[in-house]
Amino acid sequence: MTEPAKLPKKAKGARPYFFDDPAVDKAVAIVMGLAGEVSVMHDRLDTIEHLLAENGTLSQADIEGYEVSTAIAVERDAWRDRFLDNVLRIVHQELEDPDGGRANDPAYEQAIADVLD
Amino acid sequence: MTDTDTTTQYRHGILPEFTAEEASRQEFVKSLKLHLAHKVAPGNKIAFERNVVPRFEKQHNRAPENRHEVRKEMSQEPTFRMWSTLLRTSQEMMWKACQTPVERQLDTLIETAKHATGAGGTLELDPELSIPKYHTAVDIHCQPGAYHTEVTADDVAAGAVYDRAVYVYAMGRMGPFNDDIGASLAAWLANERPDFKPKRILDLGCAVGHSTIPYVDLYPEAEVFGIDVGAPMLRYAHARAESLGKKVHFSQQNAEDLKFDDNYFDLIVSHILVHETSNTAVRKIMKECNRLLAPGGLVIHGETPPYRDMEPFDAFILDWDTRNNNEPFWGGSHEIDPIVLAEESGFPASNVFEGMAPSAFAEAEARRTHAFRGGDFGGGGVWYCYGMQKTDTKPEAAE
Repeated sequence: MTEPAKLPKKAKGARPYFFDDPAVDKAVAIVMGLAGEVSVMHDRLDTIEHLLAENGTLSQADIEGYEVSTAIAVERDAWRDRFLDNVLRIVHQELEDPDGGRANDPAYEQAIADVLD
Repeated sequence: MTDTDTTTQYRHGILPEFTAEEASRQEFVKSLKLHLAHKVAPGNKIAFERNVVPRFEKQHNRAPENRHEVRKEMSQEPTFRMWSTLLRTSQEMMWKACQTPVERQLDTLIETAKHATGAGGTLELDPELSIPKYHTAVDIHCQPGAYHTEVTADDVAAGAVYDRAVYVYAMGRMGPFNDDIGASLAAWLANERPDFKPKRILDLGCAVGHSTIPYVDLYPEAEVFGIDVGAPMLRYAHARAESLGKKVHFSQQNAEDLKFDDNYFDLIVSHILVHETSNTAVRKIMKECNRLLAPGGLVIHGETPPYRDMEPFDAFILDWDTRNNNEPFWGGSHEIDPIVLAEESGFPASNVFEGMAPSAFAEAEARRTHAFRGGDFGGGGVWYCYGMQKTDTKPEAAE
């Protein structure tokens, strides 16, 4: 038997890195990869819960063949959005309070000094 | 599902199968992209206004005047860096999530494509065609292997991966058939020129034919043709169209140098083709369109809006793909002046037209941002189009 054909996995062209240390970009990529796998697990658990609620029992084939209805797809979209709210909390926090996003802002030292006055 | 479903791609005869896990992985990328567009991207404008503008004004006594000045400053901003690295990562995750299922069932997909019938369309490949440098220099929009790479005989992998990835990339907002650009341009044209009834239509750079098919529906009397340089795209496009019962004649050709006779077409269209070529190629393509169009015929290109009327920040954020998503001609193509292009390719400047075609897929409205920016494809809810009409008289007579 011949080996199945393999697709190239890296797009030709230099990959941009956005932070001074590319390790930061790589760490973000790894975290998001992990987040993706958690999301996949959540979908599977969601399928199992629906099947159990409907049938009281389930088989491997039930899970694999489960048809996701539009209503459930919409619920899962909403779940992933909330999930990303949690995973990307630090990013959203800076958007909500741009000043609070400044690294080691001297304003906080000032607040300490002010209360000691 | 229905034609108006915003959550599911239409399952035509050659769409790959996805295991539950594969489908979930793709759904995650779709959610991530939507989340970035709605909840993370807006931070860039805040960083620009709060940090970049004051910093720049202090140094130069004026605000940044163009996207290049904005980029130089914004690339230092932590918010922009975080958004960018997340967006680039989402793009890489998207391709991987769409490749794995195709790789697993490639033999089956190839067999399906080989036996595609049903609509009477045709497929003509040219193994001798040389792939233009703007497609081989880097893999466009980061699709590993791009449009043209073949990993096995009769390969359809690039087409199968692309069809699914377009759905994920646009987050379903281009409809279950991924046809929003074609459907929107076709509807715009029908509205602008209700008496225009083309007999032969050509779609340049048709990829998997997702934008081609709306013209079959709109002009059922017309013969519809699609060309592309990528053989795996065309094999897949042919099988897809046949499965959908839409008659299209696909052939492997370079839009810069086409095999059709003079005056053969009444309408030539392209959908997000121009930005994947080069300045030199665009001029050659337009000269070819001039040759191929019958007198009074139209050529129309659909893209995202040009930079010339945009604020520097807005042009900068739409330009993200130029440097970060393997779209080297994205920026240059958004600076094309249709009037200049017309003069360079033999169309009278007075025959140039531009327009904004509202999205034909209104059901996606709630998921749109009404912004034009990197990573938010199809979020604007409107497509920019420009084109030219060939004069009714022969060029000699016009001089």
